[in-house]
Amino acid sequence: MKMTKIYEGSHQWIMFGRDEGKPGNIIDTNQYVVRTANRCLLLDPGGAELFAPMMAAVLHHAPVDQITDLFASHQDPDVISSLGLWDQALTNAKLHAPAFWEGFLRHYSCESIEYVGIPDNGGTIKLESVELQLIPAHYLHSSANFHVYDPQAKILMTGDVGAAIEGPDTPVFVENFSAHVEKMRHWHQRIMPSNQAKRVWIERVRNLDVDILAPQHGRMFKGDDVKRFLDWFDALQVGIAV
Amino acid sequence: MTNQTKSQFIAVASITSELSAVMVVAKEISLAAANAKAIAFRAGDKAKGFQPITDFINELAKETIELVTNINIYALVLYRLTVNEFQKTVAYNKFELASKMAGDAVYAKSMQEPVEHAKLSMQDCQRQFKRDVSQLLGQLEAVMHHARAARVIAANSRIEASQAGEYLQSLQAVAESVDKAAHTIHDNVQRCRIALSIYRNS
Ligand SMILES: [Fe+2]
Ligand SMILES: [Fe+2]
Repeated sequence: MKMTKIYEGSHQWIMFGRDEGKPGNIIDTNQYVVRTANRCLLLDPGGAELFAPMMAAVLHHAPVDQITDLFASHQDPDVISSLGLWDQALTNAKLHAPAFWEGFLRHYSCESIEYVGIPDNGGTIKLESVELQLIPAHYLHSSANFHVYDPQAKILMTGDVGAAIEGPDTPVFVENFSAHVEKMRHWHQRIMPSNQAKRVWIERVRNLDVDILAPQHGRMFKGDDVKRFLDWFDALQVGIAV
Repeated sequence: MTNQTKSQFIAVASITSELSAVMVVAKEISLAAANAKAIAFRAGDKAKGFQPITDFINELAKETIELVTNINIYALVLYRLTVNEFQKTVAYNKFELASKMAGDAVYAKSMQEPVEHAKLSMQDCQRQFKRDVSQLLGQLEAVMHHARAARVIAANSRIEASQAGEYLQSLQAVAESVDKAAHTIHDNVQRCRIALSIYRNS
């Protein structure tokens, strides 16, 4: 598992991904970790297949008992089918996930972990002195969906928005935006169902100060590429399969 | 899924299917008893010896149904336990793998506790499964006992039927069906016991 520190301040953001040991037939995912002095939050911790390499990678940054919080942007298996394993490994942890999906996500087993349902209008996760905002991103692509914004690090974790499906050795940041566009087009047109939801989300995100836009698949967008992505996404027609 | 887990799932599932067949047959016996009672009533004095036997058959059928109902509940518990054990085993293996993959990571040692804990809960499940299997085998033995008793009764019924004059044939048919049913129950339960016996608490 490749680890890339993407923010270092009073706390840290680390991106995990490009796992070499991953079976070829499952989608490659990016996991993000927010690390404060004594706590650790895993954003979209990944599928069951990824549990062991992910846990092993996190152990370079935090001991197990300091993994206190998990976040699931939505209910997809590539996001959180590892829940049942985290549930057995962690004591006193919380899962922050859409309230709407609680009855669904509990199918993965969530007994010792406390399910903290995020209401439709969003909320926050407090990690010691760090306060992360949970930004509603419903219908992008899941009907109950949230993104995580860190105003201090200026990072917006966007789940499946901004994703691209590429090979295992892909760089972690977009280097040439116009070349990258073709890798994103079909994914966004096919997986995102609603132009209206997209418009509302873009408006919301344009009001945030974002340095890094961090999707769950593919490459992150940095600096001016964030604005480029928003403009490109704004102009894109989605929900094309009907 | 390991072969051991697979065969455990199959063993538990086979109990449920064998027992549902036993249930059907036990209900047949109960029906045969009601039938015999009616015939014996019509036969009057000629089937005097047969009347208490029909009550006995009925009682036996009822008890068997009750036993099987209880065993079915037990089998469900056993099934849940098997699922649980499977999940615990998966977790233990993944935790061990994570621990190995962590190598010389700064916090690699912190994984020891979850590994140990997972191992203990997995072993707990295995022990509890063995304990419950032993109890279930005991209950199955009780059903076998009933089946053997039913066969003895069937033999007695045949003797009593021979004195029932024109009712001989219909009473003999009752005795026959009880015997056949008891035989089926015996065989099915025996198969359950064989499937489970390898997990018995030694
Ligand atoms: Fe998704
Ligand atoms: Fe995804």
